[in-house]
Amino acid sequence: MLDQYATTLTFIALGAIFAYSFYAVLIAGQLSLGQAGFASLAAFSGAYLAPSAADVGEIPALLIAVVIGMSVGALAAVVLGLPTMHLRGVFLAIATLGFAEAVRVVLLNQEWTGGAQGLGVPRVLTVGMAWTALALVAYWFWRMGRSRYGRALEAIREDELAARSMGIDVGRHRLAAFVTAGAVAGLYGVLYAYYVRLIAPSDFDFLAAVEGLVTAVVGGSTMFLGPLLGSGFQTIVPEVQRAVGVEAGWIRPFLAGLLLLAVILFLPGGLASLIPRRTRMPSGAADDDAAGLAGRRHPAAGEPVVTLAGLGKEYGGVHAVRDVDLDVRAGEVVGLIGPNGAGKTTLVNMISGLVPPSTGSATVLGTAIGSTPVHRIAAAGVSRTFQHSKLFNRLSALENVLVGAHLVSRPTFLRRLLWLPSARRDERAALRQASRCLERVGLTSLAATRAEALSYGDQRRLEIARALASDPSLLILDEPAAGMNHVEAARLSELIRSLAQDGLTILFIEHNVGMVLQTCSRVVVLNFGEVIASGAPEAIAADPAVIEAYLGSADDDDVDGGLLAEGTRADATPAEDAPPDAVVNLRPGDAGTLDTPDTGPREAT
Amino acid sequence: MQQLLNGIFIGSIYALFAIGFTLVFGILDRLNLAHPAVFAASAFVGIELVERGGLSLWAALPIVFVFGAVLGLVIERVAFRPLKGRADAHFAGLISSIALAGMLVALLQWRYGPDTRRFPPGSFPDTRFELAGAQVTLVQVVILAISLALMVGLTYMVTRTRLGRGMRAVAENPTAARVLGVDVDRVTAITFAISSALGAVAGVLFAINVNTAQLGMGSAIELKGLAVIIVGGMGSLPGALIGGLLLGLAEVFAVQYIGSSWRDVIAFGLLFVILLLRPQGLLGARKVREV
Repeated sequence: MLDQYATTLTFIALGAIFAYSFYAVLIAGQLSLGQAGFASLAAFSGAYLAPSAADVGEIPALLIAVVIGMSVGALAAVVLGLPTMHLRGVFLAIATLGFAEAVRVVLLNQEWTGGAQGLGVPRVLTVGMAWTALALVAYWFWRMGRSRYGRALEAIREDELAARSMGIDVGRHRLAAFVTAGAVAGLYGVLYAYYVRLIAPSDFDFLAAVEGLVTAVVGGSTMFLGPLLGSGFQTIVPEVQRAVGVEAGWIRPFLAGLLLLAVILFLPGGLASLIPRRTRMPSGAADDDAAGLAGRRHPAAGEPVVTLAGLGKEYGGVHAVRDVDLDVRAGEVVGLIGPNGAGKTTLVNMISGLVPPSTGSATVLGTAIGSTPVHRIAAAGVSRTFQHSKLFNRLSALENVLVGAHLVSRPTFLRRLLWLPSARRDERAALRQASRCLERVGLTSLAATRAEALSYGDQRRLEIARALASDPSLLILDEPAAGMNHVEAARLSELIRSLAQDGLTILFIEHNVGMVLQTCSRVVVLNFGEVIASGAPEAIAADPAVIEAYLGSADDDDVDGGLLAEGTRADATPAEDAPPDAVVNLRPGDAGTLDTPDTGPREAT
Repeated sequence: MQQLLNGIFIGSIYALFAIGFTLVFGILDRLNLAHPAVFAASAFVGIELVERGGLSLWAALPIVFVFGAVLGLVIERVAFRPLKGRADAHFAGLISSIALAGMLVALLQWRYGPDTRRFPPGSFPDTRFELAGAQVTLVQVVILAISLALMVGLTYMVTRTRLGRGMRAVAENPTAARVLGVDVDRVTAITFAISSALGAVAGVLFAINVNTAQLGMGSAIELKGLAVIIVGGMGSLPGALIGGLLLGLAEVFAVQYIGSSWRDVIAFGLLFVILLLRPQGLLGARKVREV
């Protein structure tokens, strides 16, 4: 029974292992086609360097070849990955494809590989061994799924910039995913070599790479069973066609293409989306507080948190921010207001490390900004939300907040592989932290909902919860009340004040001036990139310069709209793409309604 | 000199193929991997038009152009439009176009069989020129002229016409274009049609140049097309022209001086160096990241 299907079953396992090498990077949002090159290098070097089966026995020979192949694959991935990891999307795909093709041509021209004739390899692999290897690979990715590392990769896939702001070192994570792909592809190459008896460089060509990618995507690139399902599908379809007597020739590839098209069009998550996914709920009561979480040292009240000296940012001659001096001390709640285009978002982007300043210097929580990467600044204790929500859309609300806890939770992946109880404890601690943050913003009941399915106001609250999860010393909120009605805005104001009572330092941009005056201990007003006023809320509300910036002076009353529009256009920064004629309104109830929602910027490449 | 000319002839076909590729990528941000299948299909259709329809080579070209455009509309409708608005539209578009390409090639196999096809003898004029000591056939000159004319026409259309303005608006920001009254779906469909029409003409010209059409000819040129659009700059039309000519020349000279078995390494070496040193390509613009 088994013998009859042994070949098919072995090819299902091999195809699935190869597809896992694509899955390994797809889960982090990377599209690579270099796996064929890794597999090819691994297959030839493994088969060539390993001792012959006659000398050491079949199984040891295979194992040695596997070790060689996986090392070669991983090493090749490091060598290819270091210069190419900054490439995105299609560019990475084509660069890695170029590598794979170059490998193919080089190997084809080598003496020791046998060139186009190929290299003879003994058949050692049995169906049992293939499935054992597959089980190990699948186990690896299964345990990775709910570890801190796995979540970080998913976060990078969903929104790289937000992941950086949560303290994830994107470069290292992407390289790690790429090296995993290299090792798994290497495993595939060696196993394939020890099964088919004769390998040639053309076994690992462009079509093979595309086949692997298609298998991974058809199976589903967001769930660990996906590659297995994909390989089963891809291998069994031709078998079934043969069994029911469909003639060879054109009909078979036609039907295969048709099925592939149907799967990709009608099953967005691949075949794996047919399997119901267990959604995780926050666990139990928040009893023992911070056990299992890394401790953070917060600055004592009154210590400097942000120190800006002459900070400026210029975009092609336009001064978005000019010569800003500002001190924020621990425990303060500072509101940053000003008309659209005044440079508020540019300023907080510089403070959180997203944008390097053109002039001046700044220290945030003891870290000098400028060349410090975003994730380091996050690690220093800065956490932020964005003007346009940057949530991890396909993750649940709870998972979003879990990613936010990246910096305070411990790495769990390797311990999860070994089922160590301490990993489970640490995961529980992270879950408790996340559910506390969700509770704080009132989203507990929506914990299992995907972020993209939440209402606009709930998305803004979820961003705050995610920012809180890293237990920050400085929380930066960029227009948190935009799109909220006045009841929600009042609740948000209450939340901000209660966070301040816990000792958190808060810097927030808001157009809802009423809310800012109510909430803040100090208000800073920016106009044309410069600080025009700074002080207690009451003083700001009465400051003539501020009133003029918002409404225009008394003499040019009849043309103030036009003046404002002109000013904002001249001073518009790339970060604040507000409509030029958006005049800030002073009524708290109408806060933020002028802001256009994010229209989905195209993927930056 | 002979090598230089050969490089330019083959390079102009690469460029024409790549321009169709890069047009869709530049305007719609999608990589259409069914493009090579259009290239192959049109070569077979062109041969059939000459063989059975008794048309001359040059009369067949406009028909193939229209055929390619129709295929482009089908590709857009079947493989890309249903994916609109999906988070994974990038990956999904790659896969769906690969699937459609597989179906197209299967249909070719059904209609024309698995064997190599050629133009009937006597379809080519015998006129030859002597140019600075090199042999040039009339066919080659016409290939170059048609490629250049189509590329110039395309550039004119994109930069000067109302439709071209719509295309550039969609490339900049589809949502804003829609708000401003551009019919984004229509522009998308037309972009696919033009892209495929150019790919189709490139296919016939390629078949004329080497006098063969094979089922696998699409995947053979696919990699080169990708290399060309990276080297020239993703989405850049003049970049694709320069990249195509560069690749054609590099290949011809590599065969001459290094050996034919290393030809493809040259192409991908070039690609790799460009990606590392200048990821946006020779003439591409760096995209600004939005915060």
